Amino acid sequence: MSDSANLNKLRPIDFCDVLDRIGGDTAFLKELLNIYFQEYTEKKRLLEEAITQEDFKKVYELGHSLKGASANLSLSRLQRVAFALETAGRERHLQLAQEAARSFDTEVQTLKAFLEGNPTGKFV
Amino acid sequence: MKILIAEDDQISSRILQKNIENWGYKAVLARSGQAALEALQDEELRLSILDWMMPGMDGVEVCRKIRCRKKYKYTYIIMLSAKDRKQDIIAGLSSGADDYMTKPVNFLELRARLKTGKRIIDLEDKLLLIQNQLKDIASRDSLTKIWNRSEISKFLSEELERGLREKKPTGVVLLDLDHFKKINDFYGHAIGDQALLQVVSRLKRKIRKSDKIGRYGGDEIIIILPNCGLDEIKKVGERLRLAVGKIGIKTDLDTVPVTVSAGCATSELPGTASADKLIKVADRALLKAKGQGRNCVVVAGPDLEPAGEQINV
Repeated sequence: MSDSANLNKLRPIDFCDVLDRIGGDTAFLKELLNIYFQEYTEKKRLLEEAITQEDFKKVYELGHSLKGASANLSLSRLQRVAFALETAGRERHLQLAQEAARSFDTEVQTLKAFLEGNPTGKFV
Repeated sequence: MKILIAEDDQISSRILQKNIENWGYKAVLARSGQAALEALQDEELRLSILDWMMPGMDGVEVCRKIRCRKKYKYTYIIMLSAKDRKQDIIAGLSSGADDYMTKPVNFLELRARLKTGKRIIDLEDKLLLIQNQLKDIASRDSLTKIWNRSEISKFLSEELERGLREKKPTGVVLLDLDHFKKINDFYGHAIGDQALLQVVSRLKRKIRKSDKIGRYGGDEIIIILPNCGLDEIKKVGERLRLAVGKIGIKTDLDTVPVTVSAGCATSELPGTASADKLIKVADRALLKAKGQGRNCVVVAGPDLEPAGEQINV
């Protein structure tokens, strides 16, 4: 793996990978990221509700859905945390679910901050 | 070609839609299994990409329901899922999916797999077309291209059932070309065939769209008349007789005078409950017409005896 590819893996978003998937269309990537953040706002509320009510099926479903959306946008760190959330839901593990939900939110903020300085991967 | 994208995740759905449209397909979107099933009522939707995990009815259930459908053309299904274990892939394919892809989707691969799906659909369409053509060939008389005996008998049975339900009579006119054997013997079979084709053409011009015409035997033509009772059938028979016999038929050799005899019957008569019985009654009326000197129409009377017995016409 080249240095730049390694660097991409460390970033919250792998621009090369996602742009390759959507034909290099940066405006479309922006649209998709907006959808991602909008959807997350609603999913975050549902996730908190599910954890409070210990609705593990819902935790699993939300984790699965966030995992898929993150994978589609090459957000590998978020994908990993979403997988942890999905696993916590499947294994009905409350503490793990709470930790994963918090981590996910932190990662989302990290991604937002990263995108503010680098909205379309121009440094890639 | 239209492709259904059944995917509840908006991002996946948008990416799929954009790619598919770039490849020249038209995308139809569904956000749930139920919506996918409803969209697939559209006969033109033959290719579909189904996400496994969807709210309510999931992709596997949609797949099973699609495969249970009758009277629909084949729908090629590619199942998409983040589930990548062997047993998941097996379960997805076992539910009736034709193909299985794991997320995140590699779009070059998806494009190639959609082409495979399109190939299968095109192949099915070709087979269906040939099947319909063969069915049509098997249902028609090879010379005149009108319905053959078995097909016209089937039509009559269906029409009798419908008439019974709707309380409407069904009429049958059985026509026989007078002295057709002599025409064949004198001019040869090629000219006989030409005459028969002209007779059929003249008869076809005089029947309604809802009527059915078939070749019942060598020179016997049968016409089924839905909603036609004893009051009208005589007029219909006369009209048909005149249409054939008024002017001689031009053939390659000569203008040949051709007339027909007609026997008419309707389902209002006793002993006509089945197609065979009704035809038998019409056939007896036809025999009577032949006996009366040909080139005439005889309608079976209401006082006839059950099939197999002597009837009065």
